[in-house]
Amino acid sequence: MSAPITETPLLTGKHSFSGITAKISGIAERKAPVPWYLALGAALSLLLVLFGSIGFLVFEGVGIWGVNNPVGWGWAIVNFVWWVGIGHAGTLISAILFLLRQRWRTSINRFAEAMTLFAISCALIFPGIHVGRMWLAYWMFPIPNQMGMWPNFRSPLLWDVFAVSTYFIASLLFWYTGLIPDLATFRDRAKIKIKKVIFGILAMGWRGGNRQWRHYELAYLILAGISTPLVLSVHSVVSTDFAVSIIPGWHTTIFPPYFVAGAIFSGFAMVVTLTIIARKIFNIGDIITVNHLEKMNKIILLTGSMVGYAYGIEFFIAWYSGNMYEQFTFINRAFGNYAWAYWIMIFCNVLVPQVFWFKRLRRSIPVMFIASIFINIGMWFERFVIVVSSLSRDFLPANWDYYSPSIWDISTFIGSFGLFFTLFLLFIRFLPMISMAEVKTVLPEADPHHGVAHSRPGGRHD
Amino acid sequence: MKRYAQDKNRRHWSSIAQRADSAGIQQHSPVGHRDEQSSDIAQIGRRNFLKLMGASLALAGVAGCRRPEEAIVPYVDQPEEIVPGVPNYYATTIPFDTSAYGVIVECHEGRPTKIEGNPAHPSTRGASSIFLQAAILGLYDPNRSAKIRQGGKNREFADFLSFWGEQAAAFAADGGAGLAVLAEPFSSPTLARLKSEFSQAYPRARWVTYAPLSDETRTTALKSLTGAELVPVYRYDRARVILALDADFLQHESESITAAMDFAAGRQPGDAGAAMNRLYVVESAYSTTGGMADHRLRLPSEDIGSFLLALLRELADRGLALENVPSGIGNTEFNKKWTAAVASDLLEAGQAGLIVAGRRQPPWVHELVFLLNHALGSAGQCIDFFPLNDAALSSTAELNKLTTDMAAGQINTLFILGGNPVYNAPVDFNFAEALDHVAHTIHLGHYHDETAQRSAWHISQAHVLENWGDARAVDGTLSVVQPTIASLYGGYSDIELIGALVTAGPAKGYDLVRTTWQSIIGPNDFEKKWRRVLHDGVFEGTVSEEITFTPLKSADRIIAELSPPGRDVSQENLELGFYASNVFDGQFANNAWLQELPDPITKLTWDNASLLAPLTAEKLGVANGDMVELHLDDRSLALPVWIVPGLAEYCVALPLGYGRRELGRVADGAGFDTYLLRTSGGMSYVRGATMTRTGRTVELANVQDHNTMEGRPIIREATLSEYQARPEFAREAVEHPPLKSIYPDYDYGKGFQWGMVIDLNVCNGCNACVVACQSENNIPVVGKEQVAKGREMAWIRTDRYFAGSLEEPRLVFQPVACQQCENAPCEQVCPVAATVHDKEGLNTMNYNRCIGTRYCSNNCPYKVRRFNFFNYTAEMAEVVKMAQNPDVTVRSRGVMEKCTFCLQRINRAKREARKRGQELNDGDIQTACQQACPSRAISFGNLNDPASRVARLKAADRNYELLAELNVRPRISYRAKISNPHPQLAADEPTGGRHPASETGQG
Repeated sequence: MSAPITETPLLTGKHSFSGITAKISGIAERKAPVPWYLALGAALSLLLVLFGSIGFLVFEGVGIWGVNNPVGWGWAIVNFVWWVGIGHAGTLISAILFLLRQRWRTSINRFAEAMTLFAISCALIFPGIHVGRMWLAYWMFPIPNQMGMWPNFRSPLLWDVFAVSTYFIASLLFWYTGLIPDLATFRDRAKIKIKKVIFGILAMGWRGGNRQWRHYELAYLILAGISTPLVLSVHSVVSTDFAVSIIPGWHTTIFPPYFVAGAIFSGFAMVVTLTIIARKIFNIGDIITVNHLEKMNKIILLTGSMVGYAYGIEFFIAWYSGNMYEQFTFINRAFGNYAWAYWIMIFCNVLVPQVFWFKRLRRSIPVMFIASIFINIGMWFERFVIVVSSLSRDFLPANWDYYSPSIWDISTFIGSFGLFFTLFLLFIRFLPMISMAEVKTVLPEADPHHGVAHSRPGGRHD
Repeated sequence: MKRYAQDKNRRHWSSIAQRADSAGIQQHSPVGHRDEQSSDIAQIGRRNFLKLMGASLALAGVAGCRRPEEAIVPYVDQPEEIVPGVPNYYATTIPFDTSAYGVIVECHEGRPTKIEGNPAHPSTRGASSIFLQAAILGLYDPNRSAKIRQGGKNREFADFLSFWGEQAAAFAADGGAGLAVLAEPFSSPTLARLKSEFSQAYPRARWVTYAPLSDETRTTALKSLTGAELVPVYRYDRARVILALDADFLQHESESITAAMDFAAGRQPGDAGAAMNRLYVVESAYSTTGGMADHRLRLPSEDIGSFLLALLRELADRGLALENVPSGIGNTEFNKKWTAAVASDLLEAGQAGLIVAGRRQPPWVHELVFLLNHALGSAGQCIDFFPLNDAALSSTAELNKLTTDMAAGQINTLFILGGNPVYNAPVDFNFAEALDHVAHTIHLGHYHDETAQRSAWHISQAHVLENWGDARAVDGTLSVVQPTIASLYGGYSDIELIGALVTAGPAKGYDLVRTTWQSIIGPNDFEKKWRRVLHDGVFEGTVSEEITFTPLKSADRIIAELSPPGRDVSQENLELGFYASNVFDGQFANNAWLQELPDPITKLTWDNASLLAPLTAEKLGVANGDMVELHLDDRSLALPVWIVPGLAEYCVALPLGYGRRELGRVADGAGFDTYLLRTSGGMSYVRGATMTRTGRTVELANVQDHNTMEGRPIIREATLSEYQARPEFAREAVEHPPLKSIYPDYDYGKGFQWGMVIDLNVCNGCNACVVACQSENNIPVVGKEQVAKGREMAWIRTDRYFAGSLEEPRLVFQPVACQQCENAPCEQVCPVAATVHDKEGLNTMNYNRCIGTRYCSNNCPYKVRRFNFFNYTAEMAEVVKMAQNPDVTVRSRGVMEKCTFCLQRINRAKREARKRGQELNDGDIQTACQQACPSRAISFGNLNDPASRVARLKAADRNYELLAELNVRPRISYRAKISNPHPQLAADEPTGGRHPASETGQG
């Protein structure tokens, strides 16, 4: 008989139920620290940049961007796909890891889900504003009208509308459902009337009774079940924006899995970046431990390798297809007018994650912080390479042209960070950024055998 | 408040007459009050315009608004009055240099909107050119001069008449000593009559004619050779072998429209009864004609004469019956094999062998060329000679004398009738300075241009579509210039001004022209015949009698007078060459359509540059966009470099007409003034220039970044023998799997199914289709900055590729418009179904539904969709809006647009056929590009009618569809390009860039 496998404790340090509640609620109840105000100020400034850029865009037209005739989509679509990709980690952590009983997720899921929602919010700006007549963007929705005119259901852009909005709604519900017990905690701890009322409404009459818990857990499970296919579907559908077209470099069947892997890759990288900052600022390194981060780094390594494989197989298929246009497109990617972007992408997405083969580096906060930022840059460039380099040189060389962003492309992208961080900062200030109810389930006290000899540290029996 | 009420009251018209007056409608007299009218018109919005139309209807018996006051006769319809929405067509003539181009002007509710060639006119035969097409925009140019000015003050024409009245009295006394007229060349009975009346009235006055680009060298040569002023009319359709010496006869020589048409007719491989000519071109810069060549020899312009001597020697050695060829000429070695091939081909072709020299070559080259044609027998066969009647020819020498006399103070009063000599006279004449020595200077011009600014008087000139006149085509055919709209800016025609000079009183163009024509037509039945001429646009039966070419000189006399050739070109001895451009000599510089039109070869817009061959650029260490300084003697000019493969080494090609200041909103700031290096000794080319780098660079807006086909089967080519061996080579060029769609196929077997065929074998890249499309479809002009960003809006574009080596490339053109794919990739991806197919196979565009995702454009493999990135029509001057076609929607910001095979023309033709109660016939519908094309390269019609021309061409060999392997099923197909190389030279031809059938596309 071998010795029982012991799991590394999910939380470090000594925690009690009340300690968790006090610590996490305290973040939202205490006076906000000065860095928070500074950060919010910066974020709001960027948000103003976003509003200003959009305002000018509506006033002048899409011409203020760098898009031109062969390259009809530029940074706006790159940003859209990138933000949607970032938004993948949250639901993956919440839904798939939940179903797989990966209980280390409890420390980071709330955080990641919020990040998902905010990333999708940022993403959703772009399809709306990148169209020529943004005031008519609602025509993409199947709204009954006097013309009897429906959208074109054959268009992948329409599939996008459904896929992303479904994903957003499902993620929002999932996140909110998970919040209910914690909102009740906030309500109960609230000392002023207004908070009591607001949290009271949001908590939907949660009392923590046994029956409520049973309903709650079932609902949460069902939502996890609904969300799981969405994690895979949303970016698959986004990838059809490209895969369904006939442009070499876009017209590729590998795109759905390749995009999903890339999305998870970038989503986890973003979670790592934000987590490292948050656990530093709010001193919650004992709840979100290095073990959590290491697990995420392993996923990054896995999905990064999948993405790298996809890059390779694209070249193989281009050669294997015997299609001269396809072959040219890929040679052009690596050695053509946008080769610089391609090699940035390869460096960031393929080479950088390789550091995570080493345990020491995998657990090093500075290393993973830098790596995660590289990966986010790399994933942005991946979308740039796909969108721009394919369009800039397609079938007829007479049409070839070079695309460069304008100042407004850049300001809109930077401004979208303003929206993201503003929402995020408000979230960590006013809502429980770690799921108190769920973290408590992984405390030793939650184990029915707690205090009994031979009970396993790390949680209750499954 | 009171003041406001007063002002407001003033805006109310007290009577209908006043109302009409305020818009300047009431003017009957050709003099007076035209000023206010013209300044108003620029402010007129569409709404106001309609209001005025309403006012004019109320005054129908009093005056017609914006319509000429005299009787004009519509070409097709005979409307009792204007039917709103139904255009009228009027025949008129656009004189250009000593040529006349008969056109038909489409007018909507009294405003001209489109120009087409007049099928009855010998110089257009229904086709047109970029300049004819763009004349519509020139008419409405808001920067056209609208005022009579004297020394910065506004004047009335009556003021001018009183000024001239005093002068005239003085001149009448001394026979006009010190009086001079500087006019543009013409070929017009009325102008000729007035000119001779002027000379009678003022026998000592001078009349000098000058144009910066003209056929001066050729007419000089013919005059010295035959003693008569002759004009040669080339019959390219009769030629089997053509040698063009520096002659861009398909684009910038005179009579290019019929030249292109005839050349195309003689270049029909495999078609029944037709044959394939062979074109040799010797030139310095790359021209569209050079692009059509089967063999092209690049030589510095000055060496082309030496080449001719070498050819002469070769031909004489081979037994051409040419008298007195001195020995010892033609020793310069060029390309021996090439020369031998040309010589043998010409001799074999005999009277079907044609040599053409361009206007850039000196008279002696023309003389020898005509002698050679004479010896070959092609003079009289491939060249018809006609007398130059009623014409005034450009003479640089006369201008030189005039300028000298002006500078010497011998000219007291100078009338400059049209033209812009301050800008375009040879720079060594110092015309502007000489002008300051003339006491009274009067300039008649379309713009308040460089010359107007330095003249004491400036009189605004009427546009050719606004005035009366007449013209003689090169073959002698007479036609009338009739106005299609009342003068927008109150200008006066040259006829009216000369009339005023002669009579010292007001003269109406209509009366002057009718007076001339009374003697032409004769008194019998004058009115009826006059109306017939106006209706037809030509006076039938006025073709001059051909003149037999009889040279009075022999070759040895010509050769004996030659000066030795100059030093060879080198890095320190560059040859500068001056060329006509998209704005011709600069007279169209303020025409936005022509400024934005890409140069056929360089693909530059809004600019000219010093064009260099790649190797020369490398030796000089310059790259595209580098600002360089050209030095010639003590003159210099800074302008950017643009590298063009195929130019002769150490030759700098300089397009003319750019670099304007204070001319107009369009012209100002576009390009560089190359006239500053153009001296009387080097009007076409000059040696001895050097180039230095300035270290600065400028951005040039070109529309095509990439110049090769990358080995793709885009333009499919074969030699004549390859084609004869494998007639289906074009279809076989690409192998692909069966083309199946996952969607059920729509049944296109019923009704009309529109399709188009473009023959790449005759397309010479002249761009007439591009401007015609812009005019027909209200395509906006976007400006240099937007073009540089890749946002040009042309619905049909001509792709230009170089093939072969960098030094000796061949040039191929391909017009690309929306291919109207049956399985259209754009339609499938539009989320709002804004672009959909109609049952006649058109890929239509619903602008109102478009939200502008641009996905359709991304998914278009031809990239023919154009997006309105900004509201491009917002800044359009109100008056320019009158040029717009009311049958085509003006697109707003944020929507996609593209070609729909001129859907408005299809619908109009259907309506007309229904009204006639007849079936629509093949040829009833012509798309704008098709109608303009001088090469007749474009065919359009119903694919379901097996007898239609387009259906027959699609079934014929050479037909292929571009990117058919993508299964988009385009409705446009192309006919492959065939070259006809000389067997002995064929081996030398680089084969790179051709697409033998072994090459595969999509696997």
